[in-house]
Amino acid sequence: MRQRIISQRICMALLLATSLVLTACGGDSGSGSSGNSSGKPVKGGSLTVLEDTAFAGSWPTGLDPATNTTGGANISMEQAIYGGLFLLRADDDGSNAKVEGNQAESGTLSDDGLTLTVKLRDGIKFSDGTPLDAQAVVDNWNRDLQAPCTCKPTWQLAPDGIKVVDPLTVSVTFTQPNAAVLASFPASNVNWIVSPTALQQMGEDAFKIKPVGAGPFIVQDNQLSSTLTLTRNPDYFKEGLPYLDKLTFQSIGGDQPAYQALQAGQAQAYEGMNTTPLIEQAQSNGNLTVTIQPATSPYNIQLNTKIAPFNDEKAREAIYRATDFDAIAKGLFKDKYPVSQSFTAPGGLFYPLEVKDYPEFDLDKAKQLVQELGGLTVNLGTISNYVAKQIITALQTQWEKAGIKVTTNDLQLSALVQQFQSGQWQAMLQTAGAWDPAAGVGVSFRYSSKSPFSGIADPDLDTLLAQAAGTTDMDKRKDLYTQANQLIADKRYSPFGLAFAPTNLAVQGVAGPGLTTQIPAILVNTGVIWDEVYRSNG
Amino acid sequence: MTVTTAAPRPRVSRGPALAHSPVLRLVVKRLLMAIPILLGVTALAFWVLSLIPGNAAQQLLGPEATPEQVHQLEQQLGLDKPGIVRYLDWLKGAVHGDFGKSLVSGQPVSELLPGRLAVTGELVFLAFFVSLAVAIPVALLAARRPNGVVDRLSMMIGTAGLSVANYVLALVLVLIFAVGLGWLPAIGYEPLSSGLWANLKTMILPSAAIGIPLFCFYGRFLRSDLVDQMQGEDYITTAQAKGLGPWQVLVRHAFRNSSFGLITVVGLNLGTLIGGTVIIEQIFALPGLGQLLLQSINTRDFVVVLAAVVIFAVVAVLANLIVDLLYAVLDPRIRYGSH
Repeated sequence: MRQRIISQRICMALLLATSLVLTACGGDSGSGSSGNSSGKPVKGGSLTVLEDTAFAGSWPTGLDPATNTTGGANISMEQAIYGGLFLLRADDDGSNAKVEGNQAESGTLSDDGLTLTVKLRDGIKFSDGTPLDAQAVVDNWNRDLQAPCTCKPTWQLAPDGIKVVDPLTVSVTFTQPNAAVLASFPASNVNWIVSPTALQQMGEDAFKIKPVGAGPFIVQDNQLSSTLTLTRNPDYFKEGLPYLDKLTFQSIGGDQPAYQALQAGQAQAYEGMNTTPLIEQAQSNGNLTVTIQPATSPYNIQLNTKIAPFNDEKAREAIYRATDFDAIAKGLFKDKYPVSQSFTAPGGLFYPLEVKDYPEFDLDKAKQLVQELGGLTVNLGTISNYVAKQIITALQTQWEKAGIKVTTNDLQLSALVQQFQSGQWQAMLQTAGAWDPAAGVGVSFRYSSKSPFSGIADPDLDTLLAQAAGTTDMDKRKDLYTQANQLIADKRYSPFGLAFAPTNLAVQGVAGPGLTTQIPAILVNTGVIWDEVYRSNG
Repeated sequence: MTVTTAAPRPRVSRGPALAHSPVLRLVVKRLLMAIPILLGVTALAFWVLSLIPGNAAQQLLGPEATPEQVHQLEQQLGLDKPGIVRYLDWLKGAVHGDFGKSLVSGQPVSELLPGRLAVTGELVFLAFFVSLAVAIPVALLAARRPNGVVDRLSMMIGTAGLSVANYVLALVLVLIFAVGLGWLPAIGYEPLSSGLWANLKTMILPSAAIGIPLFCFYGRFLRSDLVDQMQGEDYITTAQAKGLGPWQVLVRHAFRNSSFGLITVVGLNLGTLIGGTVIIEQIFALPGLGQLLLQSINTRDFVVVLAAVVIFAVVAVLANLIVDLLYAVLDPRIRYGSH
C-alpha cells in the first residue's frame, strides 16, 4: 500500500513538473515578428483561428455589415466573407502601408476632397451568382449609412450624393472635403458589400446569420459569438485564391485558454493577444510565430481642462512632469512597445510628428509644481482591461512620488461612458488616433470641443484638426497635424505614452499577410488578408 | 332456500386514492409554489439587470458611440419604453409560451436555448455523475477505517481539490491532458450526433474541472456523516449485535441514513453548479447556456437573460422536488404520510 502511495505521489509530482515546464517563461523582447513562418504558399487545408470573446470573438448581432453593431471588432470575419472593396496592405515589416483596391479597381478623390469615384473590377460575382456591380454597391451604402454602428463612416453627403455613374462606377459627393475617406474604408462597414439579391430573398434576420458576399469564403455555419465556419468560395475572383479550403473562427474566453489551445493543436492562430507574460512565453516557443503589429494609437492621459484641477495649466504640467512612460514601457512591457509624444505611433500614416520642447519627465519639477499648487489630488480612470489597469497602477505610483494624491478606477464600458457624459471626470487613460488620424472616430474623438469624450475646448485645436481632415495634400495634412500636436504639448493638454499594439500568434506552417507579417492596426486589430493565408502542412 | 345476495362491491375510484397520496400532494404543492417563485426570480433578474449601468444599445455600440447613435438603437430595440412595460410585455408572451426574440441577434429564444441547454445539461450531468460515482465508494472506504490510509489519502486529495478554484483546475487539466499528453481536446464541442466518443472527448475535461471539487466535497461530507453514524447511533449497535458484518452495517444501514444529508447537499448544489458552468464554458469554448447567459448579461439582452433565469429556476425547483421524492423512496414513513 505504501509503495502505491509513493508511486501516486511520484505521478502527481511528474504531472506538476510537466505543467511547470510547459508554463515556464521565456524571454525574447522587441517588436515585429519572431519565429519562422512558412515557406511557399500551399493550396488546401483548414485553419482554426481563435478570437477573444471580449472583442473580436463577439458578434452577437450577426455579420451583416449594415446591422452588425460590433463591425469594428469583426474585421477579420467580414474580410473573409466579403473580401472588401479596399484593403490596407504593407511591406512585411509594416512599412509603406497604403490602402489598395481589392474588389475596387481604383478609388479616386477629387482635388477638392469633395467627390470620391470608385471603379469596380469587372466580372466579380457574389457567391449566389449575382454580379457585384455599381448598383449593388449603391444599395449597400445606402443601407450601411443607416447602420447603428460606430463602424459606419461619417460622410457629410450632398443631396443625392451616392450615384451609379456606369455599371462599374460609383461616385460619392460630400458637402465638406473628406481627405481620409479612402483611409477609412478598410475599417468601416461600407467596405463590405453584400449580395442585395440574397438579402432580399433571405430577409434580414436569416441573412445576418448566413450572409452572402463575394469574398474568399462562404458561410457554412454561424453560431453567434461562438463559432463561424467558412469554406472556400470556388468562384472567388482572384485566380488561385483562397489557399485554404476551410476557415473557422472560434470564440475563446481570454489569452490563457487561447494560448493553451494553440499549444494543444486545437487551433492554429490567435488574433489580438495582449497579456505580456504570455507573449514572452510565445516568443520563446519554437512552434509559434509571434507578430507584434505596428502600433498606431498610443495611450494618452486625457485631462479634463473644463473643471478643476486641470483647468489650471500648472496642474496639467505637474502630470506631464510626474509621468515617466519610458520607465513603464521598460519595467512592465520589456520595451516591446514604443513611447510616443504625439497622437500617432510608428505604424501611423503621419508618424513621426515632430514636437518641440515636449514637457518630459522631471520629478523635481513635478514636486515643485505640486508644492506651488498647494497639493494636487487626482482621480484617474480607465477602461477595465489588462494593459490599461497595469499602466494606471504604475502611473499612480509615479504620481504619488511627486506628492500627488491619486485614486484610480478601472471602469466597465457603460460606467466609463457615464463618466464622460457627466463631464465630472478628471483624468482618463485612453488611446488616441488611428492609422490615419482622421479615419474612423479619429483623433478628434479625444480632442475636439464637440466630442463628449474630450476634455478640451480649444477652437484653435478644433480648426487645425478640421483642416487636416479636409486637406487632400498629404504634406499639408502632416504639417497641420504637427501644429495640432504642438498645441497639445504647449498647452499641456494630454501626455502621450505607450503605443501598445496587439499581437498575433500562428503555429509553424501557417502564414499570411497581417497574421505573420506586419500591417498597421486599422482600429484595434490588424486587418488580416485571409484569402492569402495558407498552411504548408495543412 | 336461502338466497344470499352479495353486497355490492364498493366502486374503486383511483382519483380520491391518488388525491390522498402524500407524494402526489407534495408534487402538486411544489409545482404550484413554482409559479410565484418564477415570477419573483424573473422580476428580480429584470430589476437587477436594469440597475446595471448601460443598456443593450450602449453595450452593442461601444465606447465610441455618440448619444444620438445610442438613442437611435434604443428606439430600434424598444428600449425607450419604461422598464415595467418591457417586463410586462415579456411576461405576457412568456405565459403564452413565447419567450420573445433576442434583442441583440433577433433570433427567437425558443430556437436559441434548446441547443445551449443540451450542452450545459450534459456538462452538469457528467460532472454530477462522475463526482458521485467516485465520491461514494471513496467515502465508504474512508469511513470503514477512519484515519486509515484511504481516509488520510482521500482527505489530502479532498483538501487539495477544495482549495483550488475550478477555473484554475481547468487550466491545469488542459495543460496536462491536452497540451502535455495530447489525449483530449483543449477547447470545442462535438455533439452526440458526431459519435459518443467524439462527444465525450470534448466533455471529459470540462466535466472533470467541475466534478473534481464536487467529488472532494461530497466525499468529505459523506465520510464525516458515515463516521458519525458508525460511532454514535443505537441502530448501528443493534445491527452489529445481530451479527452483521462491518461492510453490511456500513452500506446497508449507515449509508442509507447518511444518504439523506448527501441528497440534500446535492440538491442545494445544483443551482451553484449551473453558475459554475459559466466560466468553464468560457474556458473550454463550449456553446452552452452559461456562455450564452454571460454574453447576454454583457450585452444587457434581458429577453435572453430572463429566459435563462426561468430555466435555472425550473431546474432548481425540480431538483428540490426530486430530493423530496427521494426522501420518500428512502424513508417509508414519508411515503405513507406518517410523521
